[in-house]
Amino acid sequence: MLLSLAWRNIWRNKRRSLIIIAAIAVGLLCGLFTSAIMFGMGESLINSTIDRDLGHIQIHTKTFEDDKLLTDTIPSSIKILSEIKSQPNVTGASSRLIIEGMISSATSSGGVRVTGIQPQDEMKVTTVHNNIVAGKYFSDNIPNQILLGYKLAENLGLKEKSKVVLSFQGLDGSIIYGAFRVTGIFRTESTMFDRSTVFIKESDILSLLASQPIFHEIVVRLNSYQKVDSLYTNLTKSYDDLSVKSWKELAPELKLMDEMIGLQLSIFMGVILFALLFGITNTMLMSVLERVREFGVLMAIGMKRKKVFWMIILETITLAIVGGIVGMILAIITITYFGFAGINLSAFAAGLSEWGLGTILYPVLPVTFYLSITVMILLTAIFSAIYPAIKAIKLKPATAIRTF
Amino acid sequence: MSLIQINEVTKIYDGTAVPVKGLNEINLEIESGEFTAIVGPSGSGKTTLLNIVGGLDTPTSGSVVIDNVDLSTYKPDELVNFRLHHIGFVFQAYNLIPVFTAKENVEFIMLLQGLNKTDREKRAIELLEAVGLGDRVNNKPSELSGGQQQRIAVARALASKPSFVLADEPTANLDSATADSLLDLMENLNEDFNMTFVFSTHDQRVIDRAHRVITLHDGAVEKDELKIRLSKNN
Ligand SMILES: Nc1ncnc2c1ncn2[C@@H]1O[C@H](COP(=O)(O)OP(=O)(O)OP(=O)(O)O)[C@@H](O)[C@H]1O
Ligand SMILES: [Mg+2]
Repeated sequence: MLLSLAWRNIWRNKRRSLIIIAAIAVGLLCGLFTSAIMFGMGESLINSTIDRDLGHIQIHTKTFEDDKLLTDTIPSSIKILSEIKSQPNVTGASSRLIIEGMISSATSSGGVRVTGIQPQDEMKVTTVHNNIVAGKYFSDNIPNQILLGYKLAENLGLKEKSKVVLSFQGLDGSIIYGAFRVTGIFRTESTMFDRSTVFIKESDILSLLASQPIFHEIVVRLNSYQKVDSLYTNLTKSYDDLSVKSWKELAPELKLMDEMIGLQLSIFMGVILFALLFGITNTMLMSVLERVREFGVLMAIGMKRKKVFWMIILETITLAIVGGIVGMILAIITITYFGFAGINLSAFAAGLSEWGLGTILYPVLPVTFYLSITVMILLTAIFSAIYPAIKAIKLKPATAIRTF
Repeated sequence: MSLIQINEVTKIYDGTAVPVKGLNEINLEIESGEFTAIVGPSGSGKTTLLNIVGGLDTPTSGSVVIDNVDLSTYKPDELVNFRLHHIGFVFQAYNLIPVFTAKENVEFIMLLQGLNKTDREKRAIELLEAVGLGDRVNNKPSELSGGQQQRIAVARALASKPSFVLADEPTANLDSATADSLLDLMENLNEDFNMTFVFSTHDQRVIDRAHRVITLHDGAVEKDELKIRLSKNN
């Protein structure tokens, strides 16, 4: 009966209640949609980095990351690779040979990271093969093919089928030169990556080095990033002499960004709700002042102050919940729609790609964010109700009833 | 012992620039079963007296004893509880919760008393029938006339099974025919259920209906006439 009383009291002044409900709904819609865009950017940055070359988990020797020594290779890597490939949820694992070297064209030269890959394995782990803008991906039986980023190609004046020379230190310290032909040019969301990375086949490097198969890096891809943590724990246990790292550790700036976005958006929503707090307080205060006589009568006939207090809190919460539900539904519809359709940001694309972002943005909002917003709305409602409720229970029934 | 004993009650309102004496050393006894009017010109202290008797206000000095309990011994929350269980209130206007139907308005006080839904509904309908509104149980106050609204207020006052009903100018907003029939209703309830009514008024026609008339002037009892004796069964 109290709940029904609260509900009906809200609709006594329809226009006033609708205005505050609309304010809550619009505030929430804007807040949630902006948050979804930010989260979408964050997610797309993370995903594109994972897709481009990071993968979900990487394995190196414990010292490789510091010195990037050619000789610092993963022992029994072929066995490890096949063990990982058979793990549940693993969709691909690829071994890589990484060498810092020089690339020279007829006109110019520069430093690059040479990544030796097994083309078939790599396709299951990263998306370089999807990002080819000129030429094509590696073919099986043609040796000395090289894939490079469009930016590097531009800098060196290279086109498809151009010849380049790679040079790097061999296992014995001597400089090794190898001639390669550009088979394809890729373009990812990151200009940085496109300027500094080249891919060649592992087999080509090994024969230049005159070496047995050696690898510096194993990259693992899972069917969902949510499974990363459990596999990560397994792998750290199984290969405790190696360095196993998840994407969060490999790109701590991404993890930080992920956390910063969450924090910033919580503050942002907090500010919106704080502004709404005053609107709700004002609405409830008007509603209480209009009903002074009624509260007087209720308290006179035997309604305890505590009950009156809760009745006002309940009314405010109901009001906020209605506004909250409307706002959330609108937000879910908008976010879901743009989540599929995407928002075209090509007007700003040049800037975005420096940051490693694509031109179509897909807003997303984690479920936990909705949950924390729900809690925040309820808290806002309770805070807004306190002052009007105190006003109401401070009334003396005798004086309240006299007031016309 | 009387149902209500008012001993040397003085009320001084000192919230104002010049303190106002609302009541001046009032002594009264009201027995169970009375049908008593408090009358007097505007400002004579009728409302002040009813508020103090009803535990809505406290006297500056003196005491009010109801059912042998001095009201000043109650803590604020106990006083609310006392009102809920011992006193029925009818005010001049705006008695009812506008968003509730007639039945819900009567039910509400029983909800405060903690009665269950079935008992509440049954009693609410019985009482609304008793006040002649059996066919309007599902109407909101705004859909009913002023007289009908006051009848609902009377039904609600009785719903809590109080020891007595206090009504401050219950007919002030009613035309004389409607006022008359509300008085009929109250008188019947007084006779049939031996329910004590204490009501204030300055309407001569209403005064004529009272069994006892207490006249106040400047916060003091000026006259106390017994017109109809209490029936023997008291
Ligand atoms: N809250 C208050 N503060 C100050 N003075 C008050 C207050 N309430 C009542 N009074 C004064 O006390 C006196 C008695 O008032 P009360 O309302 O009891 O009279 P009443 O007989 O009910 O009058 P009416 O017939 O107009 O309702 C009046 O002089 C009034 O001005
Ligand atoms: Mg009065």
